[in-house]
Amino acid sequence: MQKGRLWFRSALAVLGLLVAGSGLAQKVKLTFWHAFGGGRLAFIQRMVEDFNYMHPNIEVKAEYKGSYRDTLNAAILAARQGKPPHIVQIFEVGTQLALDSGIFVPVEDYVPASLKFQLDDYIKPVANYYRVGGKFNSIPWNSSNPILYYNKTLFKKAGLDPEKPPQTFGEVLKACEKILAAKAAPKCITWPLHSWFVEQWVAEQGALLANNENGRAARATDVYINSQAVRRVATWWKELYDKGYYAYSGKLEDWDGANQIFVSQQAAMLITSTSDVTFHQTAAFENKYELGTGFLPIPDGVERNGTVVGGASLWLTKGHSRREMEAALTFLLWFTNTENMVRWHKGTGYFPVLETSVKVLEWQRWFQRNPAYRAAFDQLFQTKVNRATQGALIGPFPEVRTIIEEAIQSILQGTPVDQALQRADQRADQVLANYNRSVRR
Amino acid sequence: MERDDRAVFRRPVMAWALLLPTLVILSLFLYYPTIQTFLLSFYQVNFALIFADKIFVGLENYKTVFTDPVYRRVLLNTLLFSGSVVALSLVTGLALAVLANQKVRGARVYRLLLIWPYALSPAVAGVIFLFLFNPQAGVVNYVLGEVFGVRPDWLTDPRLAFLVVVLTAVWKNVGYNVVFYLAALQNLPGEVLEAALVDGATPWQRFFRITLPLLSPMTFFLLVMNSIYAFFDTFAIIDLITRGGPNGATNTLIYSIYRDGFEFFNTGMAAAQSVVLFVGVVLLTMVQFRFGERRVHYGG
Repeated sequence: MQKGRLWFRSALAVLGLLVAGSGLAQKVKLTFWHAFGGGRLAFIQRMVEDFNYMHPNIEVKAEYKGSYRDTLNAAILAARQGKPPHIVQIFEVGTQLALDSGIFVPVEDYVPASLKFQLDDYIKPVANYYRVGGKFNSIPWNSSNPILYYNKTLFKKAGLDPEKPPQTFGEVLKACEKILAAKAAPKCITWPLHSWFVEQWVAEQGALLANNENGRAARATDVYINSQAVRRVATWWKELYDKGYYAYSGKLEDWDGANQIFVSQQAAMLITSTSDVTFHQTAAFENKYELGTGFLPIPDGVERNGTVVGGASLWLTKGHSRREMEAALTFLLWFTNTENMVRWHKGTGYFPVLETSVKVLEWQRWFQRNPAYRAAFDQLFQTKVNRATQGALIGPFPEVRTIIEEAIQSILQGTPVDQALQRADQRADQVLANYNRSVRR
Repeated sequence: MERDDRAVFRRPVMAWALLLPTLVILSLFLYYPTIQTFLLSFYQVNFALIFADKIFVGLENYKTVFTDPVYRRVLLNTLLFSGSVVALSLVTGLALAVLANQKVRGARVYRLLLIWPYALSPAVAGVIFLFLFNPQAGVVNYVLGEVFGVRPDWLTDPRLAFLVVVLTAVWKNVGYNVVFYLAALQNLPGEVLEAALVDGATPWQRFFRITLPLLSPMTFFLLVMNSIYAFFDTFAIIDLITRGGPNGATNTLIYSIYRDGFEFFNTGMAAAQSVVLFVGVVLLTMVQFRFGERRVHYGG
């Protein structure tokens, strides 16, 4: 009996050593969940392969998890089941929810002192958004803002100056009148019915979307949907729709639907993320029309404040071994380093979010040679730094987005602007109150 | 001595032992989650926040479901949607089955083609209709535009979007009804129909007075199955075509549960709606068995 046990124990010990030994020799395996399909998926895949090639002791596996919302939700469910991926891409409006969720670690605490310089290299608008409480909780990655894309060929056909895209809401209306009168295209303008654009237009007017300085000074307790700023946007949107100028696919947040309307030349203008510049340049070439880009049009008589940095950042989840954490950090900092940011910008249109990557691009005269990429970049750098353009932090922001989108949709269907916005405001405040009630303080 | 058809276990222990695996699986995957859902529906809880407090709110979630205009719209949509899907699938299913039952050349090919859509997943059905009814580039609007000069905004108009979703759900499901109706039609007692023919009944009379009543057990079965389909299996179709829009026009209970549960993490609200749906289905099934059973003609 005694002997048997000893034998058993020593066998266990040997086995343990074997496991530990093989563990040391084994690669660290990391999973990385992101929200990019299509061309970007292949792009990311190639970058990850490069990383794996250069880091033989680490193996990163990138997985496409659907939309931003889907990715966040999948990560939360996986963490609940105790199997979170190491790295998750989370959209900007998920920031507060990610902070509150208790699933992630503040990434800045894990960055070794020798690599801190990379965090100080982020361009101001990006650092402004993602530094919450003075700290990077996640590594900013894909950042964008909305710009105006227009079809120069159709502009010429309508007798409009192809070098002068409309700058204001009023100018868009005028251009639309001409485009439809000249029968240059069946519709004038399109963009996805997405709350993101409302948020951007609110910021452009220097207005806030939530109290407590957009939820930046303290936790937001009141969402401002029924504001002068939102009313301006909704009223203009409705006018465009009623006059038959505005087209969309009918689905909420349908980026592809809007792109398709523009690419098939059903509409002469498109407002969408700068991250699609590369896609639209290729599409314009293939469909034989000339592409122009310009600033996001803003309400008339309003000073241009600038846009909020949209996009997503990379979060590190809790509950992994030190070795895995270190490997994950190595990947994160490599993935967003100067060279890769340059590459990422050229391949998509997303901002080069590091000062040094901007310098590289300038040195290469990239923006002179590729003017389509320029509008977004200028727009970003002309943005005034204030609470409005810093962007709102709202815990249940994903749900507030849906509420805003449904309000806009009901306005397009004929509900009076005031009534729809007031109802949405109440609903959003209720949702926020419920959320804040749940958060353990 | 009368023979007893029913085999009886002398000792109940054996019966329980044989039932045990089923009971274990049912308890784990059915009873336990059901009870949990009932309990959760009395709480306000945010599933996304790991350290969140679970707050007891009593019947507040139910109150919201029945008084909040957004959720009332969802309930109304669910009734309208399920009603139209079930009615249309049954009527078209029967009509197509009767036609496919004719002795014509290539009947087998027609039958196969009619059943085909059922073999597709709801997601594929959703994508097909999404392309067909795309206002700018869809085939439907191309044809309508060329022939009639109209290009309706199928997916931005609430009523049209509702129609498209119903049509997709019906198209996807009709094959199932055709299969079952065809089987039933082929098993109808020939003598009765012949007798009617001899007595000089018109084809319409034969159909409505004889075929339809004889098919009633099948109709009853399909009614239950189609209701369940309309309630639960139409999620992918709605998600792909409209995402519950425009303006909540196609937001049904199952979609709303998904959104509250897995998109907004209002787990309590999702649980309350699940309970409402559960009770609805139980009531419906009871009503169907109580009143349906009497009218059903099982023949024989």
